Amino acid sequence: MTREALTPDDVDELARRAQGGDRDALEELLAAVRPRCLNVCRGVLPYTPDAEDACQDALISIANKIGSWGRQGRFTTWMHVVAVNSARTTYRRMRNQAVSSDYLPLEKPDPRTTSVIAGTRLDLLEAMETIERDHPQFVEPLILRDVYGMSYEDIAQQIGAPLGTIKAQIHHGRKLARPLLRGEE
Amino acid sequence: MRRLAIGLTLVGLVAAGCGSGPGSGAAPPAPQVAAPAADRTTTSYDVARSTPQEDSVYPNVGDPGVDALHYALDLGWDPRHQELTATETLLFRSTATADHVQLDLARQLDVSHVWLDGRAVPFTHPGKDLVVDTPVTEGDRHVLQLIYSGTPEPVTAPTDRGDFQTTGWTTTADGSVWTMQEPYGAYSWYAVNDQPSDKALYDLTIRSPKGMVGISNGVLRSRRTVGDHTVTQWRLDSPAASYLITIAIGHYTRTRDTGPHGLPITYWTPTGRPGVLRKVRYAPRAVAYLEGLVGRYPFDTLGILVVPGNSGMETQTMVTLGANRYTLSRDVVVHEIAHQWYGDAVTPDDWSDLWMSEGMTTYLAEANWTGSHGSQDRTAILHRWSGFVAGMRTAYGAPAHYADQSFGQGNVYYIPALMWDTIRQRLGDATFWRLAAAWPRAHRYTSQDRASLAAWWSKQSGQDLKPLFDAWLTGSTEPTWKAR
Repeated sequence: MTREALTPDDVDELARRAQGGDRDALEELLAAVRPRCLNVCRGVLPYTPDAEDACQDALISIANKIGSWGRQGRFTTWMHVVAVNSARTTYRRMRNQAVSSDYLPLEKPDPRTTSVIAGTRLDLLEAMETIERDHPQFVEPLILRDVYGMSYEDIAQQIGAPLGTIKAQIHHGRKLARPLLRGEE
Repeated sequence: MRRLAIGLTLVGLVAAGCGSGPGSGAAPPAPQVAAPAADRTTTSYDVARSTPQEDSVYPNVGDPGVDALHYALDLGWDPRHQELTATETLLFRSTATADHVQLDLARQLDVSHVWLDGRAVPFTHPGKDLVVDTPVTEGDRHVLQLIYSGTPEPVTAPTDRGDFQTTGWTTTADGSVWTMQEPYGAYSWYAVNDQPSDKALYDLTIRSPKGMVGISNGVLRSRRTVGDHTVTQWRLDSPAASYLITIAIGHYTRTRDTGPHGLPITYWTPTGRPGVLRKVRYAPRAVAYLEGLVGRYPFDTLGILVVPGNSGMETQTMVTLGANRYTLSRDVVVHEIAHQWYGDAVTPDDWSDLWMSEGMTTYLAEANWTGSHGSQDRTAILHRWSGFVAGMRTAYGAPAHYADQSFGQGNVYYIPALMWDTIRQRLGDATFWRLAAAWPRAHRYTSQDRASLAAWWSKQSGQDLKPLFDAWLTGSTEPTWKAR
């Protein structure tokens, strides 16, 4: 099969042009990163139509915030974080909309086939909300590591903290999250 | 595919209620089988004998109990109603004694009848698995026939690449059809052991409304007008993995050309698009260039088929290219033709070894060809790649341990290309290129894995290359590539 046309260098170059106000470059960039963005959103919202909605929001977010990409790391690494945060915002909005419904959730609905609005099990995200109250610094590294599988090095570079600090934050975050998670089925 | 337990099969039979055969009314007689498939003692299909295995990355597709030898597909396409009507005749060898035979076939296709060796047999079709409930004995050959119809749909591809999201049968707004189906997706249009360790021969008959024409791999044996229809017959006489099969139905113009040593080359391009034809006419020079590196082209014919996709596939003897600027570029034409040696003549037997196809073709095309035909030389190109591959290993995994939802990402292209260059530097040009040409020739028509490849290169070169292969292909840290 043909490799993808754009190398990581090409993507960074597109992003630099998009930052400079090139609309065509921005369009091309968003089209190129959309599948990765959708994958990120699926991590937060496993039900495909919810993930599609979140991905749309995330792409708008990426387009609006593109000026804040610092160019010191890969564009895709920065994009990953923006998409994670946007997907979490979308999740919160959907959950709040669902409160008014008197829908009785099933005991353990399958997250792949159930919308968050109908009571999806998303205990990890709920746990993050809880941890965020007292230890906001643990949340981002933990999500990047355990939900998205980013390497410690990439997370450290993204957040701009030393590797040792990131590893410690993830370790402490996991300890706090464990009692808040439902048992694996 | 993991075999279904007997209990599940029975439940499926009752629940699905689609069983055919004794008890469900009189079954019609099986369609006639053409010789030599009817003669199950024939040796004419022995070239397609494979050692099928369960895939380590995508175990839910394919079944190691079946060794497909020959698929005969008789396909009728109604573009107005987007309906496919098919008769399939599969000659296969059972590789195990079992109470059933299992193939992949999409749920959108409704199977009306199944026969084994001319006898109607019961079956179920739970999800994408077609389970034929009939006992088979290890080593025996059988003819399985089925009639099915439906509106095929593409399959979700296990990838986060930007240029394709689905594989298999794809219907466009005007009722035209095209396919690209790596790593799987052939099962969206026929019943198949859809895993690359199982190679088979193919005969296709494609019936479409007049004005459209059906195209597939191999040689066009006949093209006739029957009433309001165009009927084409295609034959592929070299064994091929299912992901290397292509089919397109649409408005196409055929142009003939000739490659080195009189190699017949055929272009199938969208009618009224002379610009597309001009681009793909690079094929003869691409073949000549590659023959200079890796030896004689491994098949009897070559074709290029241009479809509305956004990727390119090395479909055996009939390369399928998307119609965009990138996929019609010379780099891509050279890359897909290079796959005829690396990928098609010799094929990875497991999807963890996708790098075996992509690494060498990237080295041949994007490093060597581009290095001698573009603005940067090979060393400059490889140096550029060495700057970003570590990030790919982090993001998608080592080339032979990639994340299963990141099929075909940059890690399986650029990293093994740098590895091959490292091996070239170590062995010297003469030995390296001699072995690069000998590997596909020595393993023609087979599927291989990285263990057999590493052992062969070590033996032939007289150097233990296994640690080097391991470090590049499965290690967690990026080895260093140095220009020398």
